[in-house]
Parts: sequence; structure tokens; C-alpha cells
Amino acid sequence: MEYIIQALKGAFNLIITLDPEVRTVVSTSLQLSITSTFIAAIIGTPIGILITKVDFKGKHFLNTILNTLLSLPTVVLGLLVFSFISRRGIMGEWGMLFTMRGIIIGQVLLILPIIIALVRNAIHDVDEKMYKTAISLGATGTQQFRLLLSEARYGIIGALVTGFGRVIGEVGVSMMLGGNIKGYTRTITTAIAMETNKGRFSFGLALGIILLSISFIINYIIYYFQSGEIQ
Amino acid sequence: MNDIILEAKNVRKKYDKEHILNIDNVKIYKSSFNFLIGPNGSGKTTLLNILSLVDTDFKGEVLYKGQPVTKENFNILNLRRHFSVIWQNPYLFKGTVASNIALPLKLRNVKEKKINKKVRNIAKQLDIEHLLEKKSNELSGGEMQKTSIARSLITNPEILFVDEPNISLDYESTRYFNNLFLELIEEGITILLITHDLYQIENFAEYITVLNDGKVEQSGADVNLDF
Repeated sequence: MEYIIQALKGAFNLIITLDPEVRTVVSTSLQLSITSTFIAAIIGTPIGILITKVDFKGKHFLNTILNTLLSLPTVVLGLLVFSFISRRGIMGEWGMLFTMRGIIIGQVLLILPIIIALVRNAIHDVDEKMYKTAISLGATGTQQFRLLLSEARYGIIGALVTGFGRVIGEVGVSMMLGGNIKGYTRTITTAIAMETNKGRFSFGLALGIILLSISFIINYIIYYFQSGEIQ
Repeated sequence: MNDIILEAKNVRKKYDKEHILNIDNVKIYKSSFNFLIGPNGSGKTTLLNILSLVDTDFKGEVLYKGQPVTKENFNILNLRRHFSVIWQNPYLFKGTVASNIALPLKLRNVKEKKINKKVRNIAKQLDIEHLLEKKSNELSGGEMQKTSIARSLITNPEILFVDEPNISLDYESTRYFNNLFLELIEEGITILLITHDLYQIENFAEYITVLNDGKVEQSGADVNLDF
């Protein structure tokens, strides 16, 4: 028990004194997660809308694939991307392995299905009456689309926040594609795994507390947007 | 007899390969209280959607003041903006009552100052000023319907389509809106009302179209109804 109390004290001390190493790791994680979420949002949001609004052959199959990819293990994805960007892979010459770009590619692929599926659900949840009402109120095609986005906005924001939550907490992609290089590709999760093994329990605990706080904030935001209590 | 403002000619609409509407001719008379009645599933709302230009996926033609409503003859969007629809189960957008009432004017790029003035005026007229800042998801069924009525009237439509509005309204409100509709007709607005309300039919109907199984059973000013 004494050991845990001491470790907790050490962890809070590292957080309160804004330890430079902790700051670097947290900053790297946030940079990666924000960039990955931003890219995935730009690609995934229009795809999610198209999948819902456009009828095409194989739509059912695509939705099944999409749902399957929601539970894709990060290490499997890491392995797949590794085979492409490692020195002997087809994208090997671009030198992306063990770089932030490598991690971003993996993280974007990880959350793309999540964002597409959740945007699809958000658009699907908009009442059919909305379309008829918008037309009857004299909306142009573009205005109808803007009204649709506006009605689904909390679901769409929720999708992006969920995607961010997934990447900030993932370890497989960052470890396999980033290589956990100190000061460069070391993220909160890979640092926790490594430093705890090295016996720096307080350091790992400090990062764990920060990660948990970020998760709490993310979940609070998701709840806030999806509770339907706000308009 | 008043002028014909809107007409549906040889209108056919299919759903799942079955005809749900098979209309030879339906006329809507200008500045009059036109009624569309018939049993559930007879095609009333489907016909309302077509006449109000909300649904353009059908065979046949709709004529506005004798001219077929086609892209060649009309700017369909502009023509649609002359019409308003009050739906049976209104859809209110996220936001306040005021923002919902203002929406049709915003879609027409009316200036903010003018919109605010018009919203206040229509809210005062319909006695819903106290609801203006309320969120749309906090409203009762009746309040939602009143908001949707205000939203439909704010554009001063030439033709007002009304699909059974009484369902969510109490007796007082129904009476109030019956009188309001009569006032609107006095001002020159054309109304097409779908209803099952015998009181409304007996007291206000000037022209009646009876639909049954997607077809016109009777139509005109002097319709023999077997009540």
C-alpha cells in the first residue's frame, strides 16, 4: 500500500510540476490524435453521408464490412500498415516507418470506419419528415443539405470525438509504426507500457491519470452532445 | 365560381408497383376553402404532396393558373415558395421556436432585422410570444403545431396546404385556427385542407374533393356526402 501511495504522490508531483518529459509525451500524443482525427474527419464525414443518402449496389455488404472494421484490433492494423511502410514494403522508400507520419496513417485507418459508421448513424437518425419539411419551406438543394448537417451536427461531432478518444488511447498502432522513440514518437500509451516495465511506476501513473482525465473529458463531451438535452 | 388556381390532371403515382393515386382531375379554387376528404389511406396526403410541389415524382401534370408546372414554364423553387404546408405531425428543427418560425425567411435570404420584426408580429398574432425563446424539443404537441402554423404563415403564402392540423390542438385552439383560416381566405389566400372533422366540413367547406382508394369519388361545390 505504501508503494502505491508513494507512486501516487510521485505521479501528482510530476503532473503539478509540469515535468518536461511528461509534457513532451502528452504533447506528442495530442498532436498525433488531433491530426489523425482531423484527417479521418475530412475523409470519413462525406463518405458517411454518401453511404446513407445514396443507394448503390453492394451497400449492404459495405455496411457489414464497415461494422466489422469497428472492432479491428490495433495490432492487426499496425501489422498491416507495417507491411506497407517497412523498408521492404511497397511504400518503404518513403521512409515513414517509426515516424509520426507512419503513426498518423495507421491511426487514420483505425478510426476511419468508426467515423464513417457513426456519421452514417447520425444522418440516418434524422427524421424523414425533415426532408419534406425543408422542401415545403422553400429550401434549395444546398440549403436542404445544410439543414441536414445542422440537424445531425451533434451526432457528427460525437462521431469525431469518439474517433479522437479511440486514437488517444490506442497502443498497438503507435508501438508498431512509431517505434516508441523518446521525444519523437513516444505517446502516452506507449510510454506507460515502457516506463512501467522499467520500474518508473510514478511516471506511468502520472501519464495514466492524464489519459484517464482526457477520457473523462471526451466521454463527458460525447454524453453532452448525444444526451439530446441540448439544442 | 372562383378561378381555378391549381389543378391536378391525370396524376398517377405508384408505390411498390401499385397505383396509390389515380386522379383524373382535381381543381383547387382561388381564395376559397377547398377540402380534401376521404378515408385513411385514400391518398389525400399523397395528393397534397404533389399539389404543393413537395413530391415531383409522379406521372401526369399539375397546372398553376392554367399553365403546366414544368421547368420550361416556371422556376419551380420560386413557385413552391408561394405555397406553405402545415403538416399533420410537424417537424421542428433544433433550436428555438423563434428560429423555427424565422427559417422560411432565412431560406429566402430576407434581412435579419425584417425577419425579427415579422417573427414577433406573427407570434403576437397567434398568441405564442411567450414560446419564442423556448427550445423546440421542450414543446407540447399543441405548441409544436402552433409553431409550425406560424412558420407556414410567415411567408404570406398564396396557397396554404393544411394536413389534419387538429390532431394535436385542443378545442380552443382548433376554434381559433378555424377563424384564422376564414380570415386568411377573406384576405385572398387559397386553402386546401385535409380533415376528418365533420364540423369543419359542414361549416366551412366551399369546394370538396372526396378521395377513395386513390381515386376521386366526388368533387365540386355541391357534393353529396353520406354522413
